[in-house]
Amino acid sequence: MTSRERVLAVLAGEKPDTVPIVPVIDGWFAPKVIGRKNDECFLDGICLADALAASLEKFGYDGAVAEMGLGPQPNVLGCPVEIEGNDVPLVVDTIVGGREDLDKVRMPDPWAGGKMEPVRRLVETGHDGDRFVIGSVRSPFEYAATVRGLIGFMTDFYADPDFVHQLIAAVKPATIAVGMALAETGVDAIVMKDSFASSSMISPDHYREFVFPYEAQAIGELKESVPVILHVCRNSMPILADMAQTGAAVLEMDSPVDLGAARPLVGAGIVLKGNIDADAVVEKGGVADIEAAVKAAMDAAKQEGGFILSTGDSVSVEAPEENVAALVRFGRQYGGYLND
Amino acid sequence: MTELLDQFEHAVVAGDADKSAGIARAIAEGALATPDEVFEHLGSAMEKVGSKYETGEYFVPEMLRSAEAVRLAIELLEPYLFTRGRDQSGVIVMGTVKGDIHNIGKNIIVLALRAAGYDVHDLGVNVSTMKFIKAVKETSCDILMLSAFTTSTKVALLDVLTALEREGLRDRVKVVSGGASHSEEFAAEVGVDAFARDVKSALAVCRELLQR
Repeated sequence: MTSRERVLAVLAGEKPDTVPIVPVIDGWFAPKVIGRKNDECFLDGICLADALAASLEKFGYDGAVAEMGLGPQPNVLGCPVEIEGNDVPLVVDTIVGGREDLDKVRMPDPWAGGKMEPVRRLVETGHDGDRFVIGSVRSPFEYAATVRGLIGFMTDFYADPDFVHQLIAAVKPATIAVGMALAETGVDAIVMKDSFASSSMISPDHYREFVFPYEAQAIGELKESVPVILHVCRNSMPILADMAQTGAAVLEMDSPVDLGAARPLVGAGIVLKGNIDADAVVEKGGVADIEAAVKAAMDAAKQEGGFILSTGDSVSVEAPEENVAALVRFGRQYGGYLND
Repeated sequence: MTELLDQFEHAVVAGDADKSAGIARAIAEGALATPDEVFEHLGSAMEKVGSKYETGEYFVPEMLRSAEAVRLAIELLEPYLFTRGRDQSGVIVMGTVKGDIHNIGKNIIVLALRAAGYDVHDLGVNVSTMKFIKAVKETSCDILMLSAFTTSTKVALLDVLTALEREGLRDRVKVVSGGASHSEEFAAEVGVDAFARDVKSALAVCRELLQR
């Protein structure tokens, strides 16, 4: 099986030759593979596409996450973003100061300024090598938090919950527009990132009130064109059963989630993707830690199928390259189905 | 009096901004409590909120609700507290490090330091290393206070210290870190000059560092 066939087989509910490996390697790690700094690739999407392709080629995992040009998604909605050196991009200003600014939310043009060109480029090179390529979009909840500013946004939960709903509804078309544009580039799937929706940030009740309805609506529209992977950072255990109802084909889980306990919560038919600790294991651990973590993940999730080995979150620029190589090596060693 | 301050503390923990503001107004208008008593109860409220977060009873929005109650209360209390003794002087830059949006503790400490007489530049939360360096240069501050609620922000703390070294500023400014999870060992690992766990220790640490 080629890499792409392997992931597609899992999405189709079939058992592949081996568990696919699709770590969350994006603009935080990949630029160093081609000797560039993150801020260079932030300003030059083609640099980012080439870095992602080079990382895919060098380490031999099965799929890549294509970021748009001007990498950070807040930029799509006009939020100013700064990045320096290898730092992660930081949103330095917001668009919506309060209810009175709701009309400042504008529908983005995802194609403007060549933003989709890096995605197209990675789709071409990735598919040439028979790799699976995933486009990346932010959820309505995350876009709303970004345009409002996280603190103001979450303060509004109690101070003005109606406004929170109105704001998320206002940015939901942006998620759909970006997602549809990504689908048009030919990506095999879209990952919808919801970085602030986990039970490490908000209560499960707030997830059900402010996140789930809009996630489900956006996924419902997008999945007509392309399968959707739903990523929630940190601990999503208390809301996994809800996430399984969004219509997402894949749930991408961060390291705090107990993989073994996840399957009964989400039921059959949904692919689980995760969840090696990108920080403690891939960045700060050694090769032995990688092996132990990969083996534990396979023991917990491989046998029932419907599993993609991944990091729980983005691999950082500080992660040693030998650890990424070890992740793939042990993933192959422990991921095979044929001899089981 | 104790009952009023207990109610004040409870209102902050519950995030009842109307109630905490009402009590703050009463304290300010009637001089019903000393600044030390106010800070003690705000500090205690902050610890309770932090503890509820740690145990999973509170999440970020609940913490922010309490932060809003503190903000409204300190707005009303500030003129009253500032008329009291201001025996310290010095310039302090303070902010919560990148990746961390906790602001209740920082806001209370900023107020306490200002009430003590320091010129405090509050950079807010989720402050980038770049912004800290810029503020240190622009203010020629004596102390840089880095607030970090959890130990997971160690990378951000180290980043600021590395940048201070790189910019040749490390010898010109004392660096204090603080946050509910801080310990002497953690501060030593990070390489700051001192650490403060709460309002009281923040005041003591700043006094001591500036007297050296």
